[in-house]
Amino acid sequence: MLKTDTQALVENKPESVRDLYDRYAGMLLGYIFEIVKDSKLAEEYMVHIFCELAAQFKDKNWEGPVNWCQLQRFAQRKMADLPGVSLHSGEPRIPGVTRNGSKDKYLELLTSTQQQIFIDIYYHGKTTAALSVELNKTEEFIRKTLKEAFVIIRKSGEN
Amino acid sequence: MKINEYIESGVLEAYVLGSASEAETKELLYLKAKHPQILEALHVLETDIEFIAQKMAITPPPGMWPKIEANINELVKARESEGLTIDMPLRDRPQYSSKSRKSSQFVEIEAESGHMRIRKIWRWIFAAVFVLGKIFLAFAIYFYIENRHNEKEIEQLKTELKTRQVP
Repeated sequence: MLKTDTQALVENKPESVRDLYDRYAGMLLGYIFEIVKDSKLAEEYMVHIFCELAAQFKDKNWEGPVNWCQLQRFAQRKMADLPGVSLHSGEPRIPGVTRNGSKDKYLELLTSTQQQIFIDIYYHGKTTAALSVELNKTEEFIRKTLKEAFVIIRKSGEN
Repeated sequence: MKINEYIESGVLEAYVLGSASEAETKELLYLKAKHPQILEALHVLETDIEFIAQKMAITPPPGMWPKIEANINELVKARESEGLTIDMPLRDRPQYSSKSRKSSQFVEIEAESGHMRIRKIWRWIFAAVFVLGKIFLAFAIYFYIENRHNEKEIEQLKTELKTRQVP
């Protein structure tokens, strides 16, 4: 029984984890770095997240992340429990100023409100309800602004 | 409900980023099953998010995967050892004879105690012997003093008799 479980974890599941690693490791590391702002810590947290993934692959009924969006949400949930991560405390931003220079070029195209809403939701995991209270705007406004941000980003990708 | 208006409302974007409420998520999942346009719009949004993530990607250092693999293997070993200590009968557990291995895996504790374990009945027997001992000691002292007193009296009587016989 024990041997079978171990074999499943060692022989089968890490191969799938490796597959996810090959596809999304760079994206995940970039995403974690944007939250923790420390490359060493980001690497440590990425190791932790992949270990969590490997552990959950053991479950036969597991419906874990198979694409980037699912993996990003999985990482966001796991990181919420880690020390030094405050997913719900976005740093204050100066309007019109992006955070990382060249890497944030697509964010430069957004207005300061669009940036704030997009970053608070994507990186800091805030809900539309929480953001509407924080910014004193309606939830409909938050959703519309998020939609506009997506349209701008999509257009920047097409160019 | 007009599906185009629903798609334009921004609910799909909120759902893809995980910020939609429970009610919004339920509604979206219901509508997704009924309207293929929503499914298609979600797919486009997922592609957009992936595009952003690709732009923000950082190439992991070369030793990253071996590190992850080593951690996974440690996790497996830890589970295996947990399973062994819980599941295996005592006689089947491995016996570690090597001293170095022993010292690295276990904390040394004192194996022998300075105390002796006896049955509780002996407590009352010891107490009875102690009390009887005290009683015998008291009697011994009493009879010793009494004996000395009697000896003195006899001495006195002897001297009295001698003095009476002399005249």
